[in-house]
Amino acid sequence: MFPGATDEREVTDATDDAIRGSHTDTGGQESDRDGANFVVVGAPLDATTTFHPGTRFGPQRIRSFAAPFDDYDHRSDRHFSDLGVVDRGDVRAWDDVAEYLEYLTSTLREVVWNDGIPLLLGGEHTVSLAGVRAVEPEVFVCLDAHLDCYDVYDGNPLSHAAVTRRIVEDVDSIEEAILLGVRTGSEAEWERAAADDVTVVPPEDVAEWSHDGQFADRDVYLSVDIDAVDPGYAPGTGTMEPFGLEPRDIRDVVHAVAPHADGFDVVEVNDRDDGQAAALAAKLVREFVFSHVDG
Amino acid sequence: MAKQQTEVRDLQEGSYVMIDDTACKINSYSTAKPGKHGSAKARVEAEGVFDGKKRSLSQPVDAKIWVPIIERKQGQVVSVDGDDMQVMDLETYETITMRIPEDADVSPDENIEYLEMENQRKII
Repeated sequence: MFPGATDEREVTDATDDAIRGSHTDTGGQESDRDGANFVVVGAPLDATTTFHPGTRFGPQRIRSFAAPFDDYDHRSDRHFSDLGVVDRGDVRAWDDVAEYLEYLTSTLREVVWNDGIPLLLGGEHTVSLAGVRAVEPEVFVCLDAHLDCYDVYDGNPLSHAAVTRRIVEDVDSIEEAILLGVRTGSEAEWERAAADDVTVVPPEDVAEWSHDGQFADRDVYLSVDIDAVDPGYAPGTGTMEPFGLEPRDIRDVVHAVAPHADGFDVVEVNDRDDGQAAALAAKLVREFVFSHVDG
Repeated sequence: MAKQQTEVRDLQEGSYVMIDDTACKINSYSTAKPGKHGSAKARVEAEGVFDGKKRSLSQPVDAKIWVPIIERKQGQVVSVDGDDMQVMDLETYETITMRIPEDADVSPDENIEYLEMENQRKII
């Protein structure tokens, strides 16, 4: 359960009432799923991670490290538990990535049909493809250390190293991708990223970046790959890349984009640190919600 | 309402299912692999046959579910009056009044096909 959210996990053979009760912290407002403003969905996919695995533990870690945060947010003068957030639990992952993404997309599309904002907790970055398919935005804004613009990586077009390319080229609604904090990629990826439908903002320019009103009347999806931040702050990720962003830079981007975004994910958190990556991810989820509500 | 029961596992894209007591046509069907101690689940995305509203459901594949029985009929347009038309059922010769869909262009003597369930009809 994401602290401050309402428990809407589907009852399965693996989640009996005792387990549900012990993890439930409604923290205030009860909200039925159809009336939810935001819906947390965990997607613990860990099928194509290329260095340190462990993203299968990401959603659980993010929820866990959200526990100590105060319900009250001084900046917005709001309580998180008043904002209509529900937690649908995890969509358990399996190794057929294409099939899993199809199922996950359907889960997230239901959220969109009910006028909710999906908050997707990864899992490897590949799960963003499901989020984007469900939301069908025009703009994909992504904080990431890597271009993720491989056409195929290790023979797999659904590798987490190819997710941005899949989103740009295979999701019909997408007009452009804006990649913030990127600092590495193969030569072929940089060539692909030089095309008109991709904008790359290097880490040193992110603090000065502004969307300058380009999101007016456009649907936006925001994705945070936690490796965008410098690994000194968030070592619990699969492919650490030095010279990254400051946590405050990412927070400011989330503040700026959230009011325009119809979907959000934070991905690539694993369990190979003391919770730094998960705590930051959890905080960004909350910052997104507060900023979206404040408009 | 004419309907029959089946298992979720027997649904498929293009067939009909009842969701929220409404007859829907299935646009997408996907399944999740079972957990170690769980049962496989299916997700269905569908669209109301008569109201066009999108709906979805998630159920274990062995759950029972209702499938509506929708008749596919042939008729002939007898007359057109504003937004309505008179249609003669070519099997029973019964004449019924139907609203002309916004995107349809019909004229008298034209043969049409339509779906019928209880008193709801839709041209296809």
